[in-house]
Amino acid sequence: MEVKSAITRAKRGLREERRLYIVAVTSLAVAFICLGATLLGVTNLDAAATRWGQSGRITLFLRDGADPQDIAQLRVVLEGLADVSEVTHVTPAQARESFLEEADVGADLSKLPSEVFPASLEVVLVQGVTRERSESIAMRLAQFRAVSDVESYGRWFQKLDHLLWGARMLAGGLALLVMFCVVAVIGNTIRLAVARRRQEIEVMKLCGATNGFVRGPFVLEGMFQGFASALLAVLSLLVGYLVLHDSVDSTLAALTGSKVVFLGARTVVALLVGGAVIGAIGSAVSVRRYLAV
Amino acid sequence: MQGTKVVRPFPFFRAGARASQPQLSKPILVLEDVYKFFRPDQPTLRGVDLSVERGEFAFITGPSGAGKSTLLKLIYRELRVDEGRVLFCGRDIGRLTDKSIPFLRRNLGVVFQDFRIIDHWTVFENVAVALEIVSMPQRLIRSRVAEALERVGLAGRGPEQTSNLSGGEKQRVAVARAIVPEPALILADEPTGNLDPHLAIDILTLFEEINSTGTTVLFATHDHSLISKRDHRLISIDDGRVSEAQQGLKHWQGSSGIHTLVG
Repeated sequence: MEVKSAITRAKRGLREERRLYIVAVTSLAVAFICLGATLLGVTNLDAAATRWGQSGRITLFLRDGADPQDIAQLRVVLEGLADVSEVTHVTPAQARESFLEEADVGADLSKLPSEVFPASLEVVLVQGVTRERSESIAMRLAQFRAVSDVESYGRWFQKLDHLLWGARMLAGGLALLVMFCVVAVIGNTIRLAVARRRQEIEVMKLCGATNGFVRGPFVLEGMFQGFASALLAVLSLLVGYLVLHDSVDSTLAALTGSKVVFLGARTVVALLVGGAVIGAIGSAVSVRRYLAV
Repeated sequence: MQGTKVVRPFPFFRAGARASQPQLSKPILVLEDVYKFFRPDQPTLRGVDLSVERGEFAFITGPSGAGKSTLLKLIYRELRVDEGRVLFCGRDIGRLTDKSIPFLRRNLGVVFQDFRIIDHWTVFENVAVALEIVSMPQRLIRSRVAEALERVGLAGRGPEQTSNLSGGEKQRVAVARAIVPEPALILADEPTGNLDPHLAIDILTLFEEINSTGTTVLFATHDHSLISKRDHRLISIDDGRVSEAQQGLKHWQGSSGIHTLVG
């Protein structure tokens, strides 16, 4: 009954202070969009890192004029390794063709000769091979006479790890900042609402209302503001994602081999619940000092 | 080990609790040697002794600033006594914990000079708030509010916006809010101060009708014309001290003149 009464009074409060709350929700939605966008970046970097990590591969660049017998011997060795699932021989012509298909650098590269592209053996490792194991295989393969260079993508993974770490730190910092903003904005909004409804509070207290009874609707209003701001931010990001993902997908696929993904269900739920909880805390804190009548 | 004595909320001041039979036979309100200081050297109330029986109607009068409102505030615990005791239904309300104060106030009805009703609420909402706080079912709230509005002469006016009412009607809404939880004691702090003389008489009559059903009423006023028209017990506060007449001004034994008495 008390909850029902608090909901009824919160609805009335939201209706009476709607202008104030619209301004607050819009301001907070901007903060949540910043956080959501950063989380979207982290999610996509994570997805790319996971994809690269899982599809472990090594590229063996072959010497110019390498003996076909040496190359064949190398293939036999590779195919005999338990960690290797597939070996493909890429000729310079195939490498050129593949490059021209995927690269979108804004210049006419059709005149590039095949000789620019070295022949290679693309080695696909089985699922679950660790980066360390991949590095050790690469080091051993570099000893072969036919091999001029080995690319195990270790440095890329390292860079990606750094990037991911930085992005996660940024997201963490932004989450703290957004939390502070939500508490401050909702706290101030509720404070204004409390000041405008001071007489109501006084009347209720004189009639024998407990602090919980008085506080209830304000906490619900704060909770609603936090939730509505987070929801507005998630919906804005979703619209942006749906509009842009077609055009971004092809570029990203060429660069990283992965597609753009939206925030996971857990992240969305965490944003919405987090918004509601922080909103409730912000309003509970700000209304506390007005309860002494 | 002798620790600080913890005062628990009195059962009577908890939701749903009722006064026991021995409590009902005692005075509803007793003030024992009550002092209230706002400045250390000048008490607003000094050594006030007072006893109010159940079902009594008493005027509290005195010049402006004499301490009438302070006395009432001590009873509904907006203020706390500095010395002495205020016993309501035998309980020392000066020692109530903050958490128990709401349960004390549910046993009191308070009416103010400035009405203290919410203008943007309807008449019904203004009265119903006193029952909503005790989580009463809506069906019961509707019938109790309708009954209270009928008692104050506002039957059928529940859906009206309070801002459209006259001063006298607003005060009737405030009275309905005070009586709707059926409190044991009603404290009226200058309830006619903002009203015309004829409306003041109407409101006084309304309080007398409420009193006739058994509710104790303390009616603070400095309006001489009101006091002189009735023979109720008269409690006068002057310079923080209390003097009394059991049957209105006609039986006044105090040393001060009538004008000093009522300000």
